Amino acid sequence: MADRRISNGVARGTAFEILVDGRSIPAHEGETIGAALIAAGIHGLRHTAKRHEPRGMFCGIGLCYECAMVINGVPNIRACQTLATPGCTVETQKGLGRLGGAE
Amino acid sequence: MTDPMLVIIGAGPAGMAAAIEAVRAGVRVTVLDENLRPGGQIYRQLDPSFTVTAPGALGRDFQRGQALVAEYASLASRMEHLGDSLVWGLFPEREVAFLRGGESQVIRYDQLIIALGAYDRPIPFPGWTLPGVLTAGGAQRLVKTQRVLPGERILLVGTGPLQLALANQIIHAGGKVVGIVEAAGVLGNWFQLACGAVGQWTLVSDALHYAWGITKARVPLLRSHVIVEARGNSKVEEAVIARVDEEWRVVPGTARTIAVDALCVGYGFVPSVELTRLAGCEHQYRSELGGWIPVRDEHMGTTVSGVYAAGDCAGVAGSQVALEEGRIAGIAAACALGRLSGEEAARRAAPSHHRLRSLARLRRVLDAISVPRRGLYELATDDTVVCRCEEITLGEIRAAIAGGANDLNAIKRMTRSGMGTCQGRYCGPALQEIVARERNALPQEVVPLNPRPPIRPVSIAALAGQGELE
Repeated sequence: MADRRISNGVARGTAFEILVDGRSIPAHEGETIGAALIAAGIHGLRHTAKRHEPRGMFCGIGLCYECAMVINGVPNIRACQTLATPGCTVETQKGLGRLGGAE
Repeated sequence: MTDPMLVIIGAGPAGMAAAIEAVRAGVRVTVLDENLRPGGQIYRQLDPSFTVTAPGALGRDFQRGQALVAEYASLASRMEHLGDSLVWGLFPEREVAFLRGGESQVIRYDQLIIALGAYDRPIPFPGWTLPGVLTAGGAQRLVKTQRVLPGERILLVGTGPLQLALANQIIHAGGKVVGIVEAAGVLGNWFQLACGAVGQWTLVSDALHYAWGITKARVPLLRSHVIVEARGNSKVEEAVIARVDEEWRVVPGTARTIAVDALCVGYGFVPSVELTRLAGCEHQYRSELGGWIPVRDEHMGTTVSGVYAAGDCAGVAGSQVALEEGRIAGIAAACALGRLSGEEAARRAAPSHHRLRSLARLRRVLDAISVPRRGLYELATDDTVVCRCEEITLGEIRAAIAGGANDLNAIKRMTRSGMGTCQGRYCGPALQEIVARERNALPQEVVPLNPRPPIRPVSIAALAGQGELE
């Protein structure tokens, strides 16, 4: 699996795993979910409601809401602003998202 | 009776500098900042679980920012810094509404300094919504503070010095930059640039440092070229680039394709004016400063009494200008609150005014080179999504204009463009230009989207739990 983490300049915090659409990927304390996904080579984070197109992280600073995902069961959470926590579940969001479910 | 209060929104270079000056003058200050830690975008701090082992690897801005953040942090006991505080509205009676810890709160101010900063200028082109296409600013945050590369074959497209800075950071991190595509024909402007830069050794030295890093790594730098299309199935796989003329219009027959897995787009920045507009400040359109900006006096005061704007949100000019504008605004607010005499305020602000005059020379030259030209707004086709949130295409927008919609608010009512979660931030700036072109008008003649609270998505539950501070 791809690992796009840069090794120079910093030492990372504790390593753990997060569950992305049922699959384990590595993450570290202090990493955003968006960064952990890109580090694993995962760019598509949601599908749009109308045209059913894939979207990924775009502005990267919390303004555009393109990286909205279902995180721990809650939809419309920005992956670029949300820190990964041990064992958190992350699902690709399909459409507008609904409380209490991935759809 | 409590002391009069200065509220500062934003803790980037402008907001931090304003707070430092105001606290020094004895003003009671509260800073509201969206991020967990002060620094803004340019001086963003790493999460404390990261240990910085080589500050040099994080770039020159990071090291410069450390000093300012340390100075700001040293005042912590004499002011109130509220991180994780997302301002969503301004209301009469001098009230600021913000979201913190899942709850909406209100704070009252006597003087207000808005230092919201800027965000990457969105330019719609076919394929710009594909995963793997991200803004240069977003890519920089990923590389600098998360220490993750956006891809394995990275192409940088856009204009201006940030491209060179980002390329260097990626190269130093061991990443592969397959090319830098620069829209401007910069070559002929080096002499002009050198003349403008006299006395600005820091900026000149940065530019030389970046240029050398790129040359050493043998990264191709293509001038007078733009991205015309991103292609791929579920993510970006190919970038189509082409040569452009002086108006940045594509020269037919010059297109070529490059295999990429990440595309970083950086066409400069747009000032975040939603709060100065909500506050009722008068604005003017200045394309060389990023678009709509608040009208200000020499003390950074807007046309609304007691409301100041400092830094990139009042005209994109970079961190060094933001810092000096922040100082001036902080001193002016302290003077307005009676903590400094007019004479003392003028004395304290003088060095900043001097620095700004010197920086302005270089700025004018850089602006002239990098201001987006018309050709960029001709890249989108009728099938290109312009409003990313509501998925509205250029074709739908043109149909609305043909149907009589002649400003951004009418287009919003007819198409929903600008109604989504980004609140028009990523369609508005391009629509300003596109509507002007379709109507044969100037961009400043097109009425922009009216910001309405909440200017950021706020859950109904948060509003229901609304509490008041103090």
